[in-house]
Amino acid sequence: MLTFLVLAVLTIAGGILTISARNAVHASLGLVGTLLMVAGIYATLNASFLAATQVIVYAGAVMVLFLFVIMLLDANRPVEEANPLPFIAPLAGVGGAILAGAFAILAFTYKDPRPLAESTAALANGAPGPVGETLLTRFLLPFEAVSILLLVAVVGSVALVQRPAVQADPEQTPELTALEGEVA
Amino acid sequence: MAEVPTAYYIALSGILFALGMIGVLTRRTAVMVFLSVELMLNAANLSLVAFARAWGDLVGQTAVFIVMTLAAAEVAIGLAIIVAIFRKRETTNVDDLASLKG
Repeated sequence: MLTFLVLAVLTIAGGILTISARNAVHASLGLVGTLLMVAGIYATLNASFLAATQVIVYAGAVMVLFLFVIMLLDANRPVEEANPLPFIAPLAGVGGAILAGAFAILAFTYKDPRPLAESTAALANGAPGPVGETLLTRFLLPFEAVSILLLVAVVGSVALVQRPAVQADPEQTPELTALEGEVA
Repeated sequence: MAEVPTAYYIALSGILFALGMIGVLTRRTAVMVFLSVELMLNAANLSLVAFARAWGDLVGQTAVFIVMTLAAAEVAIGLAIIVAIFRKRETTNVDDLASLKG
């Protein structure tokens, strides 16, 4: 219980830093902290494989991508965020409070379907083997769909960030055709 | 060791989700909006893992694995779009980008 409370407090602190920091680099470092603490919480939930994946994929790869883009766009200097709607900040606060209240009602009316000690034993500690077995049997179709999605994401991101094609220079064309003729 | 009740995890997930929502609504830089969305995705993942433990079923954990992959793809594409927009418009403020006209 103590472990959970410490991790939870650090997670919330990281989340608050993420949404409140003026500097984008500070915000993403706050998110890195949050993601690492969430990985710790996964470990307390008997999901060891997911805890490792969280650290490698989220706290590692995704956040490196974020920091790379923040620095590439020089977005790390504090920016003036003039808000077009003056009432959006209190409105967001009220909305967040309502959402948190709804989650609180959900949390305090939730009853575990069976004793936790019994269901924890059925998880096999969330080891890679059993998770992979579920992934390749009951989740086979989503697994294949995700592989296609990743391929599309790779091709799409390369296509999006490539520089516009250089216009063909009309003066160059005769020389090129002449060169090609020599080669032939 | 006594197990922490699932309700605590749902409460933490709710707080994280609310924080993410506040961030999406109040921040005006596209990158900051993305960071807040990541916070919300993690809140959802956290409750999925908590429910997986409550039911003693690995399906919840496997779903989180799929969600992580989706989030990685989303970040790759989203940041590529932000870079492409920044090249053309020299800004990532979402209010200046409210029009779809190039």
